[in-house]
Amino acid sequence: MRAALATLLVAASGMLAAADFPYDVPYVPTPPPVVDELLRLADVKADDYVMDLGCGDGRIVIAAAKKFGARGLGIDLDEDLLVEARANAEAAGVTDKVSFARQDLFKTDLSPATVITMYLLPSVNRRLKPELLKLKPGTRIVSHDFDLEDWQPDAKSTIRKNAFLWIVPAPVAGVWRITTEAGPNLPAHSYEVEVRQKYQEIDGHVRGQRVSAGLWQPRLEGDKIAFVIVDSQNRIGESAPAGSPPEASLYFDGRVEGDAMAGIVRRDVGNARTAARWRAERVKS
Amino acid sequence: MMLLSRVARATLAAAFGALLALPAVAAQPGAAFPEVPTPYLPSTTVAVEEILRLADVKPGDLVVDLGSGDGRIPIAAARYFGARGYGVDIDGKLVAEANENARQAGVADRVRFEQKDVFQTDISNASVVTLYLLSGLVNRLQPKLLKEMKPGARIIAHDYPFEGWTADRTVNISKTYYLYVVPAQAGGRWRLATQLPEGERIFDLDIKQDRQKVSGGARVQGGFLPLFDAQLAGDRLRFVLVDEQRALHFEGRVNGSLLEGSVRMGIGNAEVTRPWRATRVLGAGDEG
Repeated sequence: MRAALATLLVAASGMLAAADFPYDVPYVPTPPPVVDELLRLADVKADDYVMDLGCGDGRIVIAAAKKFGARGLGIDLDEDLLVEARANAEAAGVTDKVSFARQDLFKTDLSPATVITMYLLPSVNRRLKPELLKLKPGTRIVSHDFDLEDWQPDAKSTIRKNAFLWIVPAPVAGVWRITTEAGPNLPAHSYEVEVRQKYQEIDGHVRGQRVSAGLWQPRLEGDKIAFVIVDSQNRIGESAPAGSPPEASLYFDGRVEGDAMAGIVRRDVGNARTAARWRAERVKS
Repeated sequence: MMLLSRVARATLAAAFGALLALPAVAAQPGAAFPEVPTPYLPSTTVAVEEILRLADVKPGDLVVDLGSGDGRIPIAAARYFGARGYGVDIDGKLVAEANENARQAGVADRVRFEQKDVFQTDISNASVVTLYLLSGLVNRLQPKLLKEMKPGARIIAHDYPFEGWTADRTVNISKTYYLYVVPAQAGGRWRLATQLPEGERIFDLDIKQDRQKVSGGARVQGGFLPLFDAQLAGDRLRFVLVDEQRALHFEGRVNGSLLEGSVRMGIGNAEVTRPWRATRVLGAGDEG
């Protein structure tokens, strides 16, 4: 559901004459299968707060409330559509869960949202992107038809139209000192890792004598982080098979909270698998 | 020597393999490149672990290693995951060593090694096949693996992937590991019937298949609906048809000339699921 942002010129859309059309984004209702697909992609749950930017007749937040029990707020600049949206919410029996407001999305506090849905235009998405990146890590954003340019979607559905999902990544760039606790067959150790980040795409370099390599299989999803360090000396003192270097791959899983991370590190496979806790602090941004 | 140093175990005199498998080529001197025999360089512990992780080995699996060297992969599969293992190698000394290693690891009742050419090896019961062979050999093995292994069986290739077959998953940990899931035969023409809330619906499906890649559509009265997000993983097929106001999410299993599963529509508490079933009208190879 796209609609209604007065701050930009209509010229952005090119397909409508400015005189006919007072808003930045024309109103094109989202077809029902796409509404379903957006909510499925966002994995909406009962405890979510869904904000629809350009809500039109309110169908997305109403569907989120009715089918998933979520709460929602729809904003639009077109008062006629808001009247319709409120009537639709009443007919659907979800007025206790959803509300609608005449509001410019660029003047709206998006921080309460756990899910943001939008069907805007590329130029509007571009302006919105920095605001979206400031949201709480883990916030899901779904967009119909238009992407966020160089911010790659975390998931994509091509059912009839393109629908994209982004998960706001925690900021993790900088130098981190990772400390693993001792576990069964797992010596305590600390690693210094330099992490580079572009949106949710991360890579890293492990500094130190024992490891001089990248982070393998790095993944960041909201505040959840995972990566593998291959430590060339982790197997010292054990009986490594002949001809095999004493290296071990250490699987890190954890969560980011500001300048700290914490989680579980695992080693080995099957019935030999062991685990210990790890934590990290950012020593340089 | 980069190439050789990256190649681990495996020991198939690939040139012998070529002679056995492709006599027509061998009969014309100079017609084919003489293939470099795969040298024996054991997989590291890290590599063995990544291979078993990526294959998601379970106690019920039979893990077959083609070019098994000292046997470390099938032995680790048995020892750490309770699976059964089998390995072949062209080098008789390594085979003897592997059998001895299995005995010492206490898994000789579940793991066996034989001196054999990979092309002569029965892999029809393998649920996991692991390969660390040079690329020419990997690719000549591809048709055999696709033909003889069961749908859903997994293949892990180390460093040298198949050509023309996109891996279902790729993992980079020091080296590159490729997971391939053997696809069922889903291509062809199917007549699908399902009882939707509004009544019975028939869809005539046309499915095109290249390994695990599937595409196509459904002929319905008055038109053609494309298959969206069509995916085949082993014998499990899924696709979406969008008719008018809703998306129909089909999931099912291919079982020879029968396809059966459930179709889901709507979301949240408005989600409805119904069974569906399709029978093969024409096989992939039968279309004019």
